[in-house]
Order: sequence, then C-alpha cells, then structure tokens
Amino acid sequence: MRKLLNHLMSGYGALFFIFLYAPVILVVAYSFNSNPVNVMIWKEFSFDWYINLFGGETNLSDSSAYVESTDQLFAALQVSLTVAAFATIVSTVLGTSVAVAIARYRFRLQGFYRLLLMVPMVMPDIVLGIALLIFFVGVGMNLGVTSIVIGHCTFLTSYVFIVVSARLAGMNPMIESASADLGANEWQTFRRVTLPLILPGVIGGALLSFIISMDDLVITYFISGVDSTTLPVFIMSMIRRGIKPEINAIATMMLMASVLIASAGIYFKSRKA
Amino acid sequence: MRSFNGQQKQLLVLLTPATLFLSVFFLGPLLIMAVSSFLEPGLYGGVEWSFYPWSYGRVLGWADGFYEEFDIVYLEILLRSAGLALATVAVTLLLCYPVAFWISRMPSRWKSFCIFMIALPFFSSMIIRLYAWILILRDSGFANQILLSLGIIAEPLDLMYSGTAVILGMVYIFVPFMFLPVYSSVENLDPKLIKASQDLGATPFTTFRRVIFPMTLPGVIAGSILVFIPALGNFVVPSMLGGAKVVMIGNLVEQQFLASRNWPFGATLSMIMILFMLLVVSFYLLKVMKKQHAA
Repeated sequence: MRKLLNHLMSGYGALFFIFLYAPVILVVAYSFNSNPVNVMIWKEFSFDWYINLFGGETNLSDSSAYVESTDQLFAALQVSLTVAAFATIVSTVLGTSVAVAIARYRFRLQGFYRLLLMVPMVMPDIVLGIALLIFFVGVGMNLGVTSIVIGHCTFLTSYVFIVVSARLAGMNPMIESASADLGANEWQTFRRVTLPLILPGVIGGALLSFIISMDDLVITYFISGVDSTTLPVFIMSMIRRGIKPEINAIATMMLMASVLIASAGIYFKSRKA
Repeated sequence: MRSFNGQQKQLLVLLTPATLFLSVFFLGPLLIMAVSSFLEPGLYGGVEWSFYPWSYGRVLGWADGFYEEFDIVYLEILLRSAGLALATVAVTLLLCYPVAFWISRMPSRWKSFCIFMIALPFFSSMIIRLYAWILILRDSGFANQILLSLGIIAEPLDLMYSGTAVILGMVYIFVPFMFLPVYSSVENLDPKLIKASQDLGATPFTTFRRVIFPMTLPGVIAGSILVFIPALGNFVVPSMLGGAKVVMIGNLVEQQFLASRNWPFGATLSMIMILFMLLVVSFYLLKVMKKQHAA
C-alpha cells in the first residue's frame, strides 16, 4: 500500500515536470525545423531561422522570411536592455538602502515601510500599469524609455528589498558592532564590513530585477511610447500578427539567456559570505 | 556609541530617496487613479473635472440612467474573471500539493535541484511560455497534429479560445507561485506529530485531515493568494489564448484605455481589483498571521 503510494507520487511528480518543460522544449526543438509553411510539421533540421534573424544568407525564399522585422527586433532588444540596466541600478540602490535602514536602525515607521515595499509586489500588474499611465499623461510626461524605467523601479525596488533583507536577517550584527568598537566610523563600517557581507544578496537582487525588468510585459505595455517598444511587447505584437518560424528562434535564444542569468543568480545567492 | 543625531542623519540618507521615489511614482499614481475613477469621462479620452460616481454604478449594471439600459454585462465579466482565477488556484493547488510531498522526501541534493527546476520558469519570459501553448493548442498545432495522425480525430479540434485554454495558460504561468509557499510549509511539517497521530490509531486519511492539512494550510493560503491576485487581473493570457470569447476584467481595463477611451471607467475597474486585493490580503493577515502568533 505504502509502496504503491510512493510509486503513484513519483509518477505524478514526473508528469508534473513533463507538464512544466515539454511545451518549452517543443518550442526549442521546432526552432530548428525548416518548414516555412506550418511551424509544427517537421521537415528537416536547419539553422535557417537563426541565420535569417542575424541577416545571414539562407536558401529560404524571400516570401517565407520575416526580414522586415529584424531591425525592429534589435531595436526592441536595445530598448529592453537599456531599460533593464537603468531600472536595475536605481532599484538596487533604493531597495538596498531601505533594507539596511530597516534591519539596522530602530524607528517608528518601520511597519509602514515594510508595507510600502510589499504592496507593489501584490498589486496586479495591470492596476499599476494604468495608474502610471494616468499619472504620466496627467503630468504631461512623454512616454518612452524614461517612463518605462520609472515604472519598472516602482516594483523592482520591492524585489531587491526582499532579497537584501533576507541576506541581512542571516547576518550577525555583532560584526558591525565590532567594527565600530575598533574605531571605524559609520561610513567605513558600511563600506568595509556591511557592504561586502550583503553583496551576494545585493547582486542576487540586482540580477532578479534585471530579469524581471527584461520580462515585464503588462506594465511596459501601458507606459511604452510608440518608438520605445521593449522585447516582450514586440514579441506579443508579433504573435498577435501571426505565428512565424522566426518567433521560435527568438524564443529559444531568450530561454537560453534566462537560464544563464537565473543560474548565475542562484550561484550568487547561495554563495557563503 | 553612535550619537543620536548621527544616526538620524544616516537614516535620512538611507530612506529619503526611496521615500520620495515611491511617494511620487507609486502612491501618487494610485491616488490619482482613485480620484479619476470618480471623474467624468472626457469625449476623446482623458477626464472632465466634475464629480461623476456613475462609473461604479456601471460596473453593477445600471449606468447614469439616461442613455444606458440596465445590463449586467460588466458584472458577468467580473464574476467570470473571479471564477477563472479560482479555477486556476484549484488546479495549481492540485498539481503542487502532492508534488511538494514527493520532493520533500527526496535526498537534499535532489531537493534543491527540483526546486530550482520549478522556480526556473519564473525567470524565463512569460510571453514565450504562453507562445508555447499557442503552438500546442491552435488548429494546426501540436496537439491536433498528433491526434490527427493517430486517427483519434478526423477534424482539428477547437482547443484555443476557450475558458479551459485560459485556465491552462494561467496554471502554466503561475505554478511556481503556488509551489514555493506550499513546499515550504510541507517541508516544515514536524514528522513527530504525524507519527504521534498514527500511534494514537488515526487512519492515514484522518491523519491527513486532522494533522497534515491544517499544518500546511498557511502555505496553501499564501500560495492561493499569490496565484489568485495576478490571475484575476490578468489580461495577457485571455488575450492570447482566450481571444474575443473569453474576456476577463483585465481585457476590459485594457479596452477602456486603448480602444473605448473611457479612462474613468478603466480606473474604476482597477479600484475594484484593488478592493479584491485588499480583501484577500487582509483575510490572510487576520487569519494566518494571527494563528502563527498564537502558535
């Protein structure tokens, strides 16, 4: 009876992982399918869609390729990277400083700040997106890279705060007291003791916000201007216009990138101080 | 000892930037949205500065009473969204609960690997993961190809553009949100209590119902909230997999801003979503946190 239950659980678990990964693996596999007409009917193995994306020569006919979008695609990637870089820097500074303030000082508004940094994470994306849209239009700010960076920082700060707070909670505050007792001033203690100790958390939080910023669709969708489309928004509009084999190749490359960044994040997060 | 003034100065330096930023760009926009939900819609988008509470009435069916008939279409969409979100919560819970037990009994190396593999999709692009389901579900998609070639069906099935497809898509996206809290409460189960229950003669089912389930309930509730809130307001999944057939409150909000240009009504719908969120979160804070304090 017990053994049967164990087997059932293992089977269920295996199915669970198949459910999680089969769809994604399917996309990766079919990105190497040369069939230009129906993406899901296997013809033969080829790198054509990748070569085509990077503007290389392929034996695809002009009509089957989707060449016109390549430039737009790279422009969107560039916007995404710019936004993610700035949003990560700003939100890492903001999130880390609040985390340090709450963990290392006693003050009356601690509960308020905890709540303030929790709310953006539980808020449905769309609510934040349209609140920001109304705000930007109301104050007469042009929608573009700046508005997207500001929008992303409002919720990324919370993610950095959570990650850095977790790191600070596992830290011995006596080390900082020791530094002060040995005559270091506050700034020296922060720079030479606290910062190196929380650095893995800070880097982990920064990587997390970079990934989330690169992937954000809903909030960006509302606050991006006409000529500042990010990669996810661009891909969504591409999918809405119709399924093309290039999307498989783009999807595969994006999946690879996120696996790499996530692995790096886990590495930094688990690294001992 | 740190001097009092020095400490205050440091706090000021640490807190001022984030306080200013979040007040202006987070609390400010929410406040403006709350205000504009009570304003009159402008003719070409935007708002007119006069008090206009009818947007809220419109959600419930009756509008300003002059040119619109009583029609509960928005209430239906609201209820449908809540229904789809609840179904998503139920399915993710059914998927994650047994798997959490399965993984919690693994050797620790395998444990961390499996958790990494479940969390990994969270780090990969949501739109790409949804796209995978479009490839599978559409008329000439993978599922239909297989069923056709096996001779199970003669004509491609209509798998996309249904409530089921939307639930499937949301389950796929939100699984990590349910799994992680459920897993952490399963992992924290005290095996001694389960043993005690068995020693006292409880059947496996009674042990589960009276000991295991109540102890994992905080994780279940936290996971359910983390899935329910984003599922309720989702507009990407229904617009990709639900088409025009399955409209959720998120799609309605999007329409108010990008097509109908009725901003106050869109703001009103968002306020209702915030209300839902506050209800759910305060329920959590009251029930679960209280219990944890008592324990």
